[in-house]
Amino acid sequence: MSATYTSIGWTRAKKFYDATIAAGLAVYLGLFAGVGLAAHPDATAETILIRALATAAFLLLHVILSIGPLCRLSPRFLPLLYNRRHLGVTMFLVALAHAVFAIVQFHAQGNVSPLVSLLTAGTGFQTFGLAALLIFFVMAATSHDFWLANLSAPVWKLLHMGVYAAYTLIVLHVALGALHAEVRPVLAIATAAGMAWLLTLHVAAAFHERAGDRPAALVAGWIDAGPVAEIPEGRARIVCAGERIAVFRYDGKISAVSNLCRHQNGPLGEGRVIDGCITCPWHGYQYLPGNGRSPAPFTEKVPTFDVRVTGGRVYVNPEGHEPGTPVEPARV
Amino acid sequence: MSVGFAHGVLATMAAYAVVGVILGVPLVAYGLGRIDPAAKSAPWTFRVLVFPGVVALWPLLALRWLKSRGIR
Repeated sequence: MSATYTSIGWTRAKKFYDATIAAGLAVYLGLFAGVGLAAHPDATAETILIRALATAAFLLLHVILSIGPLCRLSPRFLPLLYNRRHLGVTMFLVALAHAVFAIVQFHAQGNVSPLVSLLTAGTGFQTFGLAALLIFFVMAATSHDFWLANLSAPVWKLLHMGVYAAYTLIVLHVALGALHAEVRPVLAIATAAGMAWLLTLHVAAAFHERAGDRPAALVAGWIDAGPVAEIPEGRARIVCAGERIAVFRYDGKISAVSNLCRHQNGPLGEGRVIDGCITCPWHGYQYLPGNGRSPAPFTEKVPTFDVRVTGGRVYVNPEGHEPGTPVEPARV
Repeated sequence: MSVGFAHGVLATMAAYAVVGVILGVPLVAYGLGRIDPAAKSAPWTFRVLVFPGVVALWPLLALRWLKSRGIR
């Protein structure tokens, strides 16, 4: 995305990502329909379609929720993160199709308004589904970078953390709906396994991240970031003093900036210096190491920190400067 | 949920959406550029993409548009 919201165009990677989503969805829906009709020859095509769309959306939601913690645990999963919003929008559209077909099939044949019937019938599981769908709609509708810039990153992120509320609503929707009517344990076991998988992933990621928040040793009030020789050229060492700081080595210099990218709080310290700019590994946002500012015409800024090199070791002042403040790099 | 309450909920949601669509058209056509200068010369494809979000969050955007015109 450019600085003026002009679509740059689909890169090869984006095309591959989207083609994989589309192909995977088509294969899944086809397989579900085939196996469903073979196992239940009396089932109507509409029922098979409604269930196929429902399970596809539910599975996609598990994939989406897995990507974040997987990326924390291993950088090999980062390619899944780059276009995660495409997965999110796809999941919303599949869920919407499920909702439309279900409303037409089960609520549009009587003399009550279909939406009133939806909210007042049965165990109420439909209400949970509708509430989750509304959350997914707001998330899909605000997935464009315009919203990230104009809602501010913290507000946008808080809005999109609503995915966890939506997941809870969907579990209730499934538990009070499909599971309520199901006699075989397969669906219940699958739902429980999905919840266990997500919980395990998130806890593992939390413990993994906690290790990085151990405060670094202070020497006369400065953080000891270790030997210069241990920081690879063009890469960083991440230290912690209340917040994480990325200490980069590049072109015979050392600079330190906040580890948090202004875009979506990606870990700048896990990125590298490319064309003279610190490059975030998540979405490629860039910052000049000497002042923490994005190169023009971009306007993002991150806090900068004083650094010095003494006896071959790097020391960082934990008192940061305002975002975008120029700081003289230390020479090595 | 009672039928009366369901009618109330749906009517509220419908009213919110209708106001969102009515305000959304001028917001997307003219207001976005005032709220965010980077959106001033954005193509119609961008405006189509953000329109659902404008309908969903029209109170926030309307407030910002009014502020940008110096109206408090």
